[in-house]
Amino acid sequence: MEKTANATPTAKQTLIGTRVKKPDAPDKATGKTRYINDMVLPQMLIGKVLFAGRPHAKIVRIDTSAAEQLPGVHAVLTGKDATGLKFGFVRDNVALKDKVRCEHDEIAAVAAESEDIARQAVALIEVEYEDLPGVFTPEDGAREDAPLIHDNFPGNKSLAFDFQHGDVAAAEAASDFVVDNVFRPHHVTHCCMGTSCAIADFDHNGKLTIWTQTQYPYNYKMDLAPALGLHPGDIRVIQPPIGGAFGSKLDVYPYEPIAALLARKTGRPVKVIYSREEEFKASPTRQPAIIHMRTGCTRDGTLTFRSADVLLDNGAYTSWGPTIPVIMMRTVSGHYRVPAVDFKAQAIYTNNPYAGSFRGYGNVQCTYATAQQMDMLADMVDMDPLAFHLKNSQKSGEITPQKSFLRECALVECLETAAQASDYSRKRKEYAAQQDAPGRYKKGIGLASSIHNAGGAKIHKSDGIGTILKMDDYARVTVITGASEIGQGIDAVITLIVSEELGVPLEHVTLVNNDSDIAPWDVGVHASRTTFIAGNGTRRAARKAKAQILAAAEKVLGEPAETLELRGGSVVRDQCGTPIIKLDRLLRQMHFQAEPELVMVTDYYEPKSEPEGAQHMSDHSAAYSHAVHIAEITVDTLTGEIKVDKVTVAQDVGRIINRMGLEGQVEGGLAIGLGYALSENMLLDHGLLKNASFRDYKLITAPEMPPLDLHFIESDCAEGPYGAKGISELPTIVIAPAIANALYNATGVRIFNPPMSPETVARAIHERRMQTAPGKATTPSEALAV
Amino acid sequence: MSETIEAITTYLAPRRLDEALQAMADGEATVLCGGTDLAPQTESGARQYKARLLNINRVEGLGGIAADGGEIRIGATTTVAEIRRSAALAKIAPVLVEAAEHFASEQIRNAASLGGNLCNASPAGDMSPPLLVLGAAVELACWRDGAAHTRRVPLEQFFVGPGKTVKLAQELLTAVVFARPAPGFVARFRKSGPRPALEISTVSVALGARVADGRLGDVRVAMGSVAPTPLRARHVEAALEGRPLDAATVAAAVAAAAEDAKPIDDVRASAWYRSHLVKVFVEEVLDDVRGN
Ligand SMILES: Cc1cc2nc3c(=O)[nH]c(=O)nc-3n(C[C@H](O)[C@H](O)[C@H](O)COP(=O)(O)OP(=O)(O)OC[C@H]3O[C@@H](n4cnc5c(N)ncnc54)[C@H](O)[C@@H]3O)c2cc1C
Repeated sequence: MEKTANATPTAKQTLIGTRVKKPDAPDKATGKTRYINDMVLPQMLIGKVLFAGRPHAKIVRIDTSAAEQLPGVHAVLTGKDATGLKFGFVRDNVALKDKVRCEHDEIAAVAAESEDIARQAVALIEVEYEDLPGVFTPEDGAREDAPLIHDNFPGNKSLAFDFQHGDVAAAEAASDFVVDNVFRPHHVTHCCMGTSCAIADFDHNGKLTIWTQTQYPYNYKMDLAPALGLHPGDIRVIQPPIGGAFGSKLDVYPYEPIAALLARKTGRPVKVIYSREEEFKASPTRQPAIIHMRTGCTRDGTLTFRSADVLLDNGAYTSWGPTIPVIMMRTVSGHYRVPAVDFKAQAIYTNNPYAGSFRGYGNVQCTYATAQQMDMLADMVDMDPLAFHLKNSQKSGEITPQKSFLRECALVECLETAAQASDYSRKRKEYAAQQDAPGRYKKGIGLASSIHNAGGAKIHKSDGIGTILKMDDYARVTVITGASEIGQGIDAVITLIVSEELGVPLEHVTLVNNDSDIAPWDVGVHASRTTFIAGNGTRRAARKAKAQILAAAEKVLGEPAETLELRGGSVVRDQCGTPIIKLDRLLRQMHFQAEPELVMVTDYYEPKSEPEGAQHMSDHSAAYSHAVHIAEITVDTLTGEIKVDKVTVAQDVGRIINRMGLEGQVEGGLAIGLGYALSENMLLDHGLLKNASFRDYKLITAPEMPPLDLHFIESDCAEGPYGAKGISELPTIVIAPAIANALYNATGVRIFNPPMSPETVARAIHERRMQTAPGKATTPSEALAV
Repeated sequence: MSETIEAITTYLAPRRLDEALQAMADGEATVLCGGTDLAPQTESGARQYKARLLNINRVEGLGGIAADGGEIRIGATTTVAEIRRSAALAKIAPVLVEAAEHFASEQIRNAASLGGNLCNASPAGDMSPPLLVLGAAVELACWRDGAAHTRRVPLEQFFVGPGKTVKLAQELLTAVVFARPAPGFVARFRKSGPRPALEISTVSVALGARVADGRLGDVRVAMGSVAPTPLRARHVEAALEGRPLDAATVAAAVAAAAEDAKPIDDVRASAWYRSHLVKVFVEEVLDDVRGN
């Protein structure tokens, strides 16, 4: 038997739920990380795009001769170089256009020796346009006489979605109260700190390597291929570190095939990188919508029905954005117990920038409506909203009309925890009573909640992940996984799980997850799925490795494998924790014995969820989760400024894996949600973006981040890794309506067209006053007193 | 990186004022101080560099705050951060310190200069309203006939339009001066934007006046972002001058604000909201002075 240098017993300790730092944090904090934006390849050319700068036009003539003659220019491409290379969700997009359908349409592209030369060359391209009348709202686009944006999409109709359950007409007739509102959530964009960038290079066999920011590398190959006339198998995707994605990299965007077309033409690597202004104009947006929602309840506060008629502003092309109704209808039908549901959504082409996917994916818009209507109905039946929510809450084991199985449902616990922690019911009454009392500053408190998929979403045939785990002679572990790291922290989660299972230090785990030629398949970073899916995949792979190691240990040590464990870098006796042999030593013995073996295992994990299906009736996620936000605010009723004093969050996380990562995701998600609620807004004038800079596009800044009181409810999800659920989108989804409800509590006004900017709020309060006491006041503050 | 920066053929960073003035005597130099306006404007193509870039940060005597005498003098290269930290100004002219508090962010305040803020002549420039109510003047120097010449221009005559002032291309703004406020002088500043931090003013209002026996005298009211230039609100001043500071006077001043403020709709706010805010701020600064 082996003697060990250190025979001190190793205590059983779990890393699950502890705080573990992101492995890349030191490099990022010190500036060592080389982002894709920093990358330079030998012989690399810079690609630049000529944008249309107008919303809708025919291209009459295009002359690139002057640009081509500029020294240092290697290629100039136009629409004719991309003819027939349609790509996109409904194949309505092409890398370089022969017609203008939105401001940022890519008309020509240049590859040159330097950024300056490329910029000069772009300026030398002459284009003659014939402007066409445009459509800038979905209502206008849907009109019979509306100009047609794509010849092959009559009525400017893009995707449509429908879902019915129960008898809505009968349920409405049986309702004592019905709320009926039109909500108009607005255009916002992701504002990734790293602007869009791709580098493309072909080898002489015609194989493309593309370094890009994508968050779904495997289906990306399939989506990129038609834009280039390539076979998906001939594309290798490499994902260097990036400065954020948040859903904006869940599709192919034209700059990526443009980089590849230029690379193919020049035979050299070509990098396309956007300036901040280009980023604002050319990035996808969160989908704006016009949501006509009606919800009913009986006198005792029981929900009877909900109907939603949704018109979506598709923008000029169909990316993932128009598929958001898939998630919207889950909220409409599953946000509280709704017996009868009617959901219709139609995406309409307009000449606005086009929408893509964005953290919260349709649920942000929809929850803004549902959570406010819950508040309104509670008011009508004269119930504390908390009691109203509790009365209609689902419990574990319930199935929603769309067949989402709420196996572990902690909504009641979330509601009670958040309400108690914030003293919600007492404050709400007190503030409501103060609403019309004199005084400039009003306090308000608002409660909102939502439901979201928390175990992936089976929108493809598979929602799985491949994992390869190998160990070397020094007990260093390499995990080769399909799980992309886009800043969300899956690197820390995977490291933690491997360390937990194999008893190796965190620093001894390396990830290879950024090369599609190496790492196995995965759907991508979306649907709050990666910790859930990749966490399961990693744990399964690690347990396979552990079984192999302990079986070998049994042979070497002569002790039964069941009595052994891996802890503190050694094989230990599970009961007493006494180390028996160092892990690296054992691995070497395994490797160099007569019948050598290496630890290298593979796993493919497929969650137990059902494909979305045409009827939208399936258990499409392996888990669902709820979150409750309670916002406390102070409103300056004269300037309309809302100060968020505190947000109490109670979220069902299943089980905490990395507490630091969880807190970071909740805080970051809230920051996006707060910006959406209060200040972010793409100001479009006839399809042209008027605030393409951080000066005029208002992200939330550090001083406005309110204190957060976070409560994590651990419902212990049977299917999740260690019981965990996906957590990343709910923080973005719930905050805006919580603030809207607080605003109502403080002032009696509701904002149906976010953001709740100072001007919008001031105007609403002003108008309410003009109605109650028109024309009496001589000063702003006197108006308060009347 | 940008083509405009390549237009610069000469870069100068003199230590003496004479040298600086000579370097711009032909009106063909771009003056660089903190660069917080210049850099974004040239980068976006809104303006072009001239062939000579003149960095004035090292010029001796152009910085610093002299607050001992009857006239207060703030050098052109004094940063907004220095104004914010100045104990002397906090005593003599707290309204300036307050405006500096609400100015941009720490990083920008460390670079942004007083001279640059005035020469940029934005209607939203935050140093203008408080200086207007302090009755400040600017000193403009130039090199002519082998010597330096300086003239003084009252700040209210300095601005002529967005980005435009009476300063000639060969003139350097060397300092801002104002008389030490008399005992009983009070001043207030209010600014607003959709976000509390790092914000360009949607509207700003400053009030300066002598208060004696419950009445206001020598009233100056200034507004930003309500017209092509920062302006003196003469109607509001007239409604206040010599009046008892009571509710009726406040109401009259608020009503008069509509005569002075002629805002426009733009990406930052509608004209309605700006007019509304002007009234709110006029009332607020007056209420504040009244002490309620
Ligand atoms: C993120 C950000 C936030 C900002 N926030 C605010 C804000 O809250 N409030 C606000 O008022 N401004 C704000 N600004 C604008 C800017 O910071 C200020 O106007 C600043 O005071 C300009 O000073 P500077 O030294 O940087 O000027 P520079 O950019 O160096 O110069 C500005 C202009 O004045 C000229 N110039 C400079 N000094 C002199 C001189 N002594 N004589 C003659 N000409 C001269 C330059 O040639 C140039 O045309 C902000 C800017 C940024 C980038």
